[in-house]
Amino acid sequence: MLRRRLSPLQRAGFLALVGIVLLVASRFIGELRDYQGAQVAVYIIAISSITLLTGYSGQISLGHGAVMAIGGYGAALSFSLWQFPFVIAILFGILVGTIAGFVLGVAAARLSGPYLAGTTLALAVGLPTIADQFKVLGGEQGLNFDIGDAPSWVRKLGGSEFTQYKWFFWIAVIAALISLWAITNLLHSNYGRNWRAARNNAVAASLAGINVARGKILAFTVSSALASLAGALFGLLLGIVTPTAFPLSLSFAIVTGAVLAGVSNLAGSIVGAVVLVAIPEVSGALATHLGGSQKVTANLPGLVTSLLLILVVLFMPHGLRVRRFKRVKNLIRTK
Amino acid sequence: MFIDTLLIGISSGAIYSLMSLALVLVWRSTRVVNFAQSGQAVLSTYIGYEITAKTHNYWVSLPLAILCGALIGSLVDLLFMRLLSKRVKSGPISEIAPVIATLGLLGLIQSVIGLIWGNAFLQYPSPLSAKGFTFGSHTIPFSPQNLFIVLASAVVLAIFGVIFRFTNLGLALRASSFAPEIAQLAGIRVSRVRNIGWSFAGAAGAVAGAVITPTSTLSPNSLDLLFVSGFIAAVIGGLDSLVGAVVGGLVLGVSFSFILQYISSSVTFLAGFIILMIVLLVRPRGIFGKRVGRNA
Repeated sequence: MLRRRLSPLQRAGFLALVGIVLLVASRFIGELRDYQGAQVAVYIIAISSITLLTGYSGQISLGHGAVMAIGGYGAALSFSLWQFPFVIAILFGILVGTIAGFVLGVAAARLSGPYLAGTTLALAVGLPTIADQFKVLGGEQGLNFDIGDAPSWVRKLGGSEFTQYKWFFWIAVIAALISLWAITNLLHSNYGRNWRAARNNAVAASLAGINVARGKILAFTVSSALASLAGALFGLLLGIVTPTAFPLSLSFAIVTGAVLAGVSNLAGSIVGAVVLVAIPEVSGALATHLGGSQKVTANLPGLVTSLLLILVVLFMPHGLRVRRFKRVKNLIRTK
Repeated sequence: MFIDTLLIGISSGAIYSLMSLALVLVWRSTRVVNFAQSGQAVLSTYIGYEITAKTHNYWVSLPLAILCGALIGSLVDLLFMRLLSKRVKSGPISEIAPVIATLGLLGLIQSVIGLIWGNAFLQYPSPLSAKGFTFGSHTIPFSPQNLFIVLASAVVLAIFGVIFRFTNLGLALRASSFAPEIAQLAGIRVSRVRNIGWSFAGAAGAVAGAVITPTSTLSPNSLDLLFVSGFIAAVIGGLDSLVGAVVGGLVLGVSFSFILQYISSSVTFLAGFIILMIVLLVRPRGIFGKRVGRNA
């Protein structure tokens, strides 16, 4: 899992390097790829929130789409109602989501397995209906979250044809890298060790002086903070936040992504995110290749996702990591 | 007005009870929450729809759909769940693997249905009127179809009750969920009994699908919300208890009906969440769930 130990500063340097490469690379790719890249970055954040919660703390949530909705609505509300700058609006969304996550976490720490799954599932179905109840949340029409073009200094930095999608890509990539950095540091810290200990054996962990319930609440809170960041960015990409933007299938999709990645593998969240974005594209191409009718085009993505999910759970329960690669790495190490 | 609301609540509660019973049957025997349940139920309803289209007779299609539901349940266990429990035993994924796998199966069933029948909303009519009973000049919203729903659910629940309480098969089912190894030593073929549990669950889900669909429309996702309600009901009742499943279903159905009547239609699922939270905060394993000791 976490074998190679880098110091937080080294990790920051590495991620900054990756970030610069990606931001420079964004010049040379098309509009659509920019947008998809931004989607991948958002999914990375959402999936890593599940990875942290399920893989490291051993709790399950089928309602993280609802937490994303809280973050998205928090950001959009402060953006459109109070005219916050969008960065502050996103931070506000995270704040609201974190508070909600803490409340949920307190309840979740008492529950286990299917009881927790059921509660979070009910939340995922129930929460988006709140938006219809309050005028301020915009009902079915939703809330505007259109941040417009990048400020001039960014456009100067980004080159002549710096479109809105490139700007989205920048924002999402930077947010994803910061989140990944924060999560790795957290997982390497005392907290991360305590989570893993409590997940592996709660009784032994509490005998060793770890407060299991507090750890679970903290994990749920941190995971909600990440999910609400993903939700705020999700709304930013859409330019609008509506109740239907956060359906039950979104909650399932990010759990799917986490499983594809191997639930306790943070780097794998990148694989999961790429797969989630690629599936509609690939299966769409496949459907047109098959010369499919409307039935085929509508159902092929679902079919591919479900089959992939089943095959991964049955035959690669540790996720889509390439085994051979690991073996080669071990070979190098022993020599 | 109060009586009307109560009757409608009991009618929808009966359906939730069936769905939640299906979930409890599977949970008791295999410790799996079967998210594919709504997919299985909707598939058997589609089969019923197809039979009705051929024979023009709802009463022929109903028992056949239930039979197919039982068959589907049994096949899911044989072809899928056994493989899963054999392959995924340990590691961080083992806890959530059944959840993920059955979610995958749900998606698979629904997209296959979409490939065969399309995603359009179909009508699966029943010969019973959906218009309410009339007493003098007063028409209540409770219709013959609602009455049929309540009766059918009651009959199914009674049959299961008798099987579990008074037959050898019921004893075997209870024994193999209570202590599988000891049941095996006592000569019960646990895997076969489990398979029967899965087919019972499939049949219960099929009944729910076949009697509720005439009141609305049929589409690959049309039973999803019913599943969510059934799951909430099962969790409220405590996942291990058959009585709990029925009680949970009725509680949820009646409270949804009153909220719909007196507050607003759009907050029902939020209310479901709140009811669930209240129950679970007082009793983390549901109303009828047993407290378990530490086993580590």
